Amino acid sequence: MSAGEVLAHDTVMQEFAFLGHGIGLRPPHYAEVVADRPAVDWFEVITENFMVAGGNPRRVLRRVRESYPVVLHGVSLSLGSVDPLDEQYLKNLSGLAEETEPAWISDHLCWSSYGGHTGHDLWPLPLTEEALDHVARRVQAVQERLGRRILIENVSSYLEYAHSSMPEWEFLSALTERSDCGLLLDVNNIFVSAHNHGFDPASFLAGVPADRVKQIHLAGHRDEGTHLLDTHDHPVCAGVWSLYREAIRRFGRVSTLLERDDDIPPLSQVMAESRQAATIMAEVTNADAEPGAAHG
Amino acid sequence: MGERRAPLALADLQATLYDLITAPEGATTRWAELGRGPSELESIVKPGARLSALERVEIYADMYFYRIRDVLQDEYKRLVAIVGSDAFHNLVTDYLIACRPSNASLREAGARLPAFLTKHPLAERHPPAPDLARLERLHLDLYDGPDTDTLTLDEVRALPPDAISALHLQAIPSHAVVQSGFTLSASWHALGAGEAQAPIGATPETLLVWRQGLEVNHRPVDVDEEPLLSMVRTGARLDQLCERLIESVPEERATERAFQIVGRWLADGLIAAHG
Repeated sequence: MSAGEVLAHDTVMQEFAFLGHGIGLRPPHYAEVVADRPAVDWFEVITENFMVAGGNPRRVLRRVRESYPVVLHGVSLSLGSVDPLDEQYLKNLSGLAEETEPAWISDHLCWSSYGGHTGHDLWPLPLTEEALDHVARRVQAVQERLGRRILIENVSSYLEYAHSSMPEWEFLSALTERSDCGLLLDVNNIFVSAHNHGFDPASFLAGVPADRVKQIHLAGHRDEGTHLLDTHDHPVCAGVWSLYREAIRRFGRVSTLLERDDDIPPLSQVMAESRQAATIMAEVTNADAEPGAAHG
Repeated sequence: MGERRAPLALADLQATLYDLITAPEGATTRWAELGRGPSELESIVKPGARLSALERVEIYADMYFYRIRDVLQDEYKRLVAIVGSDAFHNLVTDYLIACRPSNASLREAGARLPAFLTKHPLAERHPPAPDLARLERLHLDLYDGPDTDTLTLDEVRALPPDAISALHLQAIPSHAVVQSGFTLSASWHALGAGEAQAPIGATPETLLVWRQGLEVNHRPVDVDEEPLLSMVRTGARLDQLCERLIESVPEERATERAFQIVGRWLADGLIAAHG
């Protein structure tokens, strides 16, 4: 797709502004971020970590929000579960969003609860019409409740269902149409799932609607020999960088977030990886590569 | 190849997988317990060249258990120090059978562990364990408990004498008073540093646990302070605290002692600011 085509498609969902290159805000970096206000365009936080009454997490979030755009990224909406939507969770999310005024809210295409119990994981859904109908209705319900569109992220998976009837990119495309949501494309998750299930990651990129892709995730994974595991404990590997370059060619300038959740290195190291993403985007789109320039 | 079956409806599929993933003995054992052969799962989960259908589900089963165990291990460091890693691992296995996580936040997954531990055989081998776990949990709960502005000693000193005796004192919400059958406070820091041999005395103590700024602290409560703490939980005037103190200290010393106690509370940030 040409840059002109990207612009034409971008008339849809204009509420998702290009934020530049962000970093997942994690506890080991709280003090440094609050004290030094590093040159990062924006921060993404794990929603559930801030659904607390007070104390340091909420204080940090307020301080960070004073200086940066913030995105709320959830892991527990359990959009694919057959359990009812968690009303208390939605109430808490709505309250946190009201206070934080995030640039947007995102969660995953998965189920993570059953029978009133939660697994604290992102379990993949069967890619069927039944699941699509179910998730689309729930995404719509969440969006109505929050009064805004949300972004849905593709997960890394280690199993495929025998009765899945469509590829994941087709499922996601249909989901965006039926529920009018956007996509958070996790390039590392595409890489991991493509390896684990033997599909071409380029097909994934080609198969999702460009005008719906409003955020990209980058992260590291671990090679377990029999499969790749999405661990967020390593730097982004060459293959994922290469796939990111392809994604930018196809989707243009999309807000990009570097995630690190385990073996978390110093902030400067995470920022260096984020700058690498900015450089790639600049090379592909001929734009300014300086993180921190988008939001001072 | 697995036996050909009609595809499971979404609800049935989730019921089956949830059962396998959260089974304490693992997905493979659970599937066998259900009287199903390994290849039967292939009607639900595709096998691959490198992993069978069961091995794929087992990846999720491992992640379910180890993710929660690792979080609990971090939250209950001192408990791990006294019972040991292996016993803690088995405790978490038992705990997850009895208390499956039901809160969206992973941070809440271990909330019921102290109560569960009181009825667990591990408590017989390590009697201080339940109290220690309860104190560790309190530290975690108060860490991100409600925020409250606090009254300072200087603000109270600036009041006229009449206003001081009528001063309404209410403790901040982020505090708790707990009784323990053991002297936890003495070995808290050593256990936190992973010193498994740090002795825990068997002398009962009452502890005040509270958050001051961003730090959660605890300290033993003086005998005459304890009833006063329960009064300021709901709110009490300074003169009421003095009256209560007369029951435990000579009348001529009650006011001085009340000022000592309240002064310490104010210095510790335990008293909420007014309006």
